[in-house]
Amino acid sequence: MAAKKKRTPNTHNDSWVVIAASAVETQKHDCDPDFVKLRNPSTLYMLGAGDVQLYEVKAFEEDFHSWFVGQTVQRDGKLLFVTQMDPLYLILPYMIKSGQEQGKFQPVDQVVKDDEFPASSRLLSCTRSLTSLHHIAEGKVGSLKFHRYSQERTLNWLQKKVERTIVALKKKHICVGEGVKSTTYVRVKTESDNQEDYLRYAHGLISEYISEELSKALLKHLLPELKSAKETEPPSKKRKLSDKPVEAGEDYTKFNSGDFARKPPKKMTAAQKTLAKVDKSGMKPMSSFFSPKTKAEKK
Amino acid sequence: MDLKQFEADNSGSCRLASRIPDVCRTEDCCLGVDEAGRGPVLGPMVYGICFCPVSKKEELKDLKVADSKTLNEAERENLFQKLDEAQSYVGWALQILSPNMISTSMLQRTKYNLNALSHDTAICLIQYALDSGVQLKEVYVDTVGPAEKYEKKLSQLFPGIQVTVRPKADSLFPVVSAASICAKVARDHVVKGWNFAEDLGEIDTDYGSGYPNDPKTKEWLLKYLDPVFGYPQFVRFSWSTAQTLMDSKAAPVHWDDDEEDGEKAAQQQNNRSMLSYFSASAEGDRAQPTHRFFSERRLKSLKSL
Amino acid sequence: MTCHGVTRLHLSSLKRAEKVPVHLMPCEIEHNGLAQVSQYFTATTKENKKEKTVSFRGRGLKGQEISCPQGYTGLVLKEVDRHGSDQEDRTVKVTSVFDKLTYWNLETPPTSDDTVVMAMDWPELAEAIHGTVED
Repeated sequence: MAAKKKRTPNTHNDSWVVIAASAVETQKHDCDPDFVKLRNPSTLYMLGAGDVQLYEVKAFEEDFHSWFVGQTVQRDGKLLFVTQMDPLYLILPYMIKSGQEQGKFQPVDQVVKDDEFPASSRLLSCTRSLTSLHHIAEGKVGSLKFHRYSQERTLNWLQKKVERTIVALKKKHICVGEGVKSTTYVRVKTESDNQEDYLRYAHGLISEYISEELSKALLKHLLPELKSAKETEPPSKKRKLSDKPVEAGEDYTKFNSGDFARKPPKKMTAAQKTLAKVDKSGMKPMSSFFSPKTKAEKK
Repeated sequence: MDLKQFEADNSGSCRLASRIPDVCRTEDCCLGVDEAGRGPVLGPMVYGICFCPVSKKEELKDLKVADSKTLNEAERENLFQKLDEAQSYVGWALQILSPNMISTSMLQRTKYNLNALSHDTAICLIQYALDSGVQLKEVYVDTVGPAEKYEKKLSQLFPGIQVTVRPKADSLFPVVSAASICAKVARDHVVKGWNFAEDLGEIDTDYGSGYPNDPKTKEWLLKYLDPVFGYPQFVRFSWSTAQTLMDSKAAPVHWDDDEEDGEKAAQQQNNRSMLSYFSASAEGDRAQPTHRFFSERRLKSLKSL
Repeated sequence: MTCHGVTRLHLSSLKRAEKVPVHLMPCEIEHNGLAQVSQYFTATTKENKKEKTVSFRGRGLKGQEISCPQGYTGLVLKEVDRHGSDQEDRTVKVTSVFDKLTYWNLETPPTSDDTVVMAMDWPELAEAIHGTVED
């Protein structure tokens, strides 16, 4: 058989296959959406027409793919996803920083100002930004414009995010257990994934959008009985390099299940109550997820 | 010969067979196996069996089916006609392996070579005769690969049957020659009337013998080379003739099981994942490895378009 | 692309964008541009209840069609040539749209564990992570 050809690099790609939230297509006041860079430089974002909505761009990328698009070949085999993004996640670091430095009420347009990423100020144009600012900050009495970061509010807000995420994970039957995940194993979608697994998994997902520090605080907020440092300490880097597939991004969410107190706490936290409530739906048969009566999704 | 069944889908494998003569179910029979179109880069490979009662061997000889290699196309047609007329005591069956089936088998992840494919097809046809109630006692086979080894393999598979595997068996045993004629006639018909599944309009059917060294075949292969798809399914992609032409004139295509590419990709993947653990972003954020939700779905953040 | 450059998506191009069939192939094809996809590929694709089959370059493929998640649209974007302009900002236009795609595996039958099928979970999860939280 003929010798295999070496792959040449695909340097001048100029087309992309994208799955985008349909709202992206809505034009507003003759404005167009923009792909922009913001404070998290590893991610590309999109601001919808008129900056009313923020989107995040992710890519499905695997080696050895190309597209047929109509009567053409597109060598680049990525599939881009443009999905809605909560602008608060990106406003949050500015609020925290300002809170640490100033410690006083600040006009939010002064806080979210970034010479390095000038598009950042456009975050405040998003419809949701100002209307949901109270989730992460306190407003000065008598003033709509002055705000101060509140960790308490932020943690409550993030807790709701975690709860919503758990509902979605269950609805999509996404396996959250810690079992070995590899392409050679068949994924088993069991109902027995326990609630700590869901909580840890959802917490890990939310942690993708917040600082490590806040992520740790959130875990403590969700599971306050985890007091000792040993339990919340991330496992050593060594573990990541071992051949055991330790899931990335969960290092600080993983704790030794042996150390983990499975005894029910005397008093349930708000999160645990919600979790217990939510979890009931997980015990129902798969079919119940599709029946409107028992639909687990909260509106 | 009715080829409608194959022509309805010429991308797979198809069996055609005569009626089983009653006498073959009651009397001891001999059976010959031969193939047509093993070498060509175009068109199907056809496997044929022919069988008749041992007592009718002489009558088969009288049909002058011997030495099929020396016959031209018209003579073969004529002899197939005679075999068909002798249907009271002669039966036949064919397995047509489409060029697409040959290509996809030979180029499979776990390679399925042409010898293995040939053996399996021959075995299937003998089994078909047995399953149809033919009282097989003697089987004669034109060899593929070393004759001795093949003979042993067939003898073990079909205990109680006298198996003879020989090179050039078609010139030695009339029943093999008869099988060869059936197979060749079928291949001729299929090639001549090839129904291109591709939507390519009028196609020049002057493709010569289909053997790679035939200038007409070469010319045809040059004319019908597509820079993306290579060839219509009429061509055996697994033949080096086709591969070489595509390597020089068509867009390179890389698969995850390409030896060189695959290895390199695995290496790159390793390097990448190691790097992603340690590379902190420019802002001095924590080195954030991706949550397994994303890594399991091959999803990552996109830095720029 | 420079760090701060903005890439504008010209929505006006949507009106002229045609709905096209899209196929995610299990190989990398070193080519960008025209190809006789319908003549060679679509014309030879076979379909049964469970899966589609076809071959490409002599290799057997098995595939299935998947729809874009509800509330999502498939777009094919193409960069508009800058004609040597020294402007930092780029523009892309929509050249085609799609509401379903066919992905192909090399020889293995399509299942719900295929990575691209799993990737389609993302939009719904993104809505949970990023949707508005009630007070």
